[in-house]
Amino acid sequence: MYPVISRHLISASAVLLSVTLIAPAAYAQSRAETLRYVTAATVNTLDPNIPGSTREAFALSMSSYDRLVSFGRKQLNGKWVFDLDTINGELAESFSVSPDGLKLTFKLRPDAKFHDGSPVTAEDVKWSLDRCVTAPVLGKAQLLTGSMTSADQFKVIDPLTFEVTLPRPDKLALPNLATVYPIILNSKLAKSHATPEDPWALSWLKENEAGSGAYIVETFKPGEQAIAKRNEAWNRGSSDKPASFKRLIIQSVPEAATRANLVERGDADLVIDLQASDVQALEAKGKLKVISTPQYNAVTFISMNNKIPPFDNVNVRRAVAAALPYDDMFKAALFGRGAPLFGASWTDGKPPSGGYPIPQPVKLDLEKARAYLKEAGVPEGFATTFSFNVGQASTAEPMAALVKESLEKIGIKVDIQKLPDAQMSTAINEKKLPFFTEGIVAWLPSTDYFYRNFYTGNQRWNYSSTDNAELEKIAQAARFEPDKAKYEAEGKELNAIHFEQMFQVPLWQPAQDAVMAANLDGYVYQFTRQVDYRNLSRK
Amino acid sequence: MGTIGATLIRAGRRFLSSLPALFGVLVFTFLLMRVLPGDPAVFFASGPSAGKEEIEIVRKQLGLDRSLPEQLGIYLYDVGRGNLGRSMMTGQPVAKDLRQRLPASLELTLTALVIALIAAVPLGVLAALRPNSLLDHGVRLFCSLGVCVPTFVSGLLLIYVFYYLLGLAPDPTGRLDVFAPVPPARTGFLMVDFLLAGDFEGWWAAARQLMLPAFTMALFVIAPLARITRASMLVSLGSDFVRTARSIGLSRWQIVVTYALRNAILPVITIAGIVFSTMLGANVLVEKVFSWPGVASYALDALLVSDYAPVQGFVLLMASIFVVVNLLVDVLYGIADPRATVA
Repeated sequence: MYPVISRHLISASAVLLSVTLIAPAAYAQSRAETLRYVTAATVNTLDPNIPGSTREAFALSMSSYDRLVSFGRKQLNGKWVFDLDTINGELAESFSVSPDGLKLTFKLRPDAKFHDGSPVTAEDVKWSLDRCVTAPVLGKAQLLTGSMTSADQFKVIDPLTFEVTLPRPDKLALPNLATVYPIILNSKLAKSHATPEDPWALSWLKENEAGSGAYIVETFKPGEQAIAKRNEAWNRGSSDKPASFKRLIIQSVPEAATRANLVERGDADLVIDLQASDVQALEAKGKLKVISTPQYNAVTFISMNNKIPPFDNVNVRRAVAAALPYDDMFKAALFGRGAPLFGASWTDGKPPSGGYPIPQPVKLDLEKARAYLKEAGVPEGFATTFSFNVGQASTAEPMAALVKESLEKIGIKVDIQKLPDAQMSTAINEKKLPFFTEGIVAWLPSTDYFYRNFYTGNQRWNYSSTDNAELEKIAQAARFEPDKAKYEAEGKELNAIHFEQMFQVPLWQPAQDAVMAANLDGYVYQFTRQVDYRNLSRK
Repeated sequence: MGTIGATLIRAGRRFLSSLPALFGVLVFTFLLMRVLPGDPAVFFASGPSAGKEEIEIVRKQLGLDRSLPEQLGIYLYDVGRGNLGRSMMTGQPVAKDLRQRLPASLELTLTALVIALIAAVPLGVLAALRPNSLLDHGVRLFCSLGVCVPTFVSGLLLIYVFYYLLGLAPDPTGRLDVFAPVPPARTGFLMVDFLLAGDFEGWWAAARQLMLPAFTMALFVIAPLARITRASMLVSLGSDFVRTARSIGLSRWQIVVTYALRNAILPVITIAGIVFSTMLGANVLVEKVFSWPGVASYALDALLVSDYAPVQGFVLLMASIFVVVNLLVDVLYGIADPRATVA
């Protein structure tokens, strides 16, 4: 009996040894050349245009597809962020805007190739943009904000020249072409998978990629991971080089604590969605690089529905604004990580700038709050519900508790309502919630864009159900305002109306905390609030 | 031969008689999902630029623009043809998602159940042999701890100790190291696929990955199994046949294992069947903590965003598994106690 057992033992320990010694050595090299990115969410489509696509899907498509142009970067308080005002060519070698602002002309790179080796032509660009404004895709509504609505506006001049015609000069036309939707697809490949019911190959492109971007998608398992390899022929990177990492692994790890462990142990290279408390702990240990950028194109609000009593009374809204415990909420929800939008002092009560958002002159002042309530005719207070999204519970829950506690002091009884994500979206869309917290993001954060999208119309994003004729008039006029000084003045007017009417209360811009291996370089905060993998390298 | 044939016929009849129940589950889940507040179209059309038009597009895609009876008819017709619809969340057909994810859940749950049984049956027997002794109390304490610590706590604790502090366990994400090669998928059970491919290194890597989540889940279910074993062992030890066995001077081992345990094991099998079915659905937290690509976490994610098709598909799958597990328990009963087949 004995010899048999010992032979088993020997082979078992041999296997063990080979696993512990040989295998890690074999992985080691590929690990150094691989970027492993762990995230809470999941890549659910390879085509960002599909309704329901996640931010992770946007991030992957930024790397697997090219657009005509892309945003540059700038420094903001020592951190790199995307720069809306610098537009660089991506597939376009050069581009020009006609003097009257009505024609955008793009010269394509002659050496650009799709992943299957075929050249990128103006025909492909036309088909892709036609798709964006014609097919039932997300790009349609986005390009509308840049005055691009019809396939007639896109013209092939020659195989490498492409032209966009605009009905009027629109400063958001060019930046729109740098967003995630107007991807340039390999039209021949895509068309070969189109069907009469699906002429734009939506279902095929959802699971297959037909791009020319820096990374070629190898495996795509929604809910688990996506793996991409470097496109060696891609030369749109800095100093005309391919991307730095050979491979890219985007992995879904739902548990925040596990994500933190992974990055701390060096098994993951980068994570952007950790709990604020974990980020703080990791930062204190000092082993990892933590780049914390206020999301300067995002705002977290406390919204009040201006059409539901008693919030239809401006003095009630003012009372709430004066009774919010701003500092405590900022500390409890975000551990102070982000840019506060409260506690400002506006000299002579006028907004100091026409930008959006700007810090508001609000602070906790219960006396003032009581006075406003009296003026509103409800000195005894009232009862209401405060809703938030389960998905945002880690920040919204402590915040809601503080809101309830503070408002109780001026007689407003708050019932906290925690809603599943889909239910919250539905209630907001139907304008049923009186009092809640939400966050907004604009990819192209200009003052008029914010005001038009979030403060006008009967659309979902008008959280506070604002209906103010003057605000709407100025916001619409500002959209096509070519004069910078006038635009700034209009922005100040909008900001003044906002504060005067207190439609909702901007709280802060949460920080995007990117926690990464110390030797990782090149992180830039992006308009998608995601990582642009093409920027990153290992020192 | 005769008994096997009878068992099979009985199993077939039992299966057929459960079909109406499955149909009921199908319709009930369908209606329940639609009664729940939360409009999936609104949720999924929530990109930065999605407006009314996009919501309508999604609603059409999901078939929600039709009347309820019409939707139900289409759904039943589709299910009849094996089409469970498409998940908005993953963009994949639900049947494909479930097929890919079910082996992950089954592998984890089965391993956990085996670990739990290996621990629970001896513990229960020991406790029954010395009722109210220190040992009995010790077993009770251990079981209570296992049950009262939620799985996400014990899971995170195990990760913290074995991965973070000691570095013994591989990184707790998924079924296999992301850098490791995957075996050709034959059964979907990684442990089996690696063996079929003759890749023992891979098998060991997958086994190591499986250990922490399986132990987490096993801890949670040891208690009911050990309690049932103890209770039925006590009954069995106090019964006439054990007294007879004792009186004719059989060895203690023979009495305990051959006579008492064999009779006491029936309720344990029943409970194990139920425990297995519940574990499969209830291991959401374990799957979440260990990023395990299983069906339970899939269904929970879908439920949070009111993604109808995956939730309906999941409930149907669970109901079917429950039916199959019950059948299996019946068959095992027959083997453990041949008298049961006639019943």
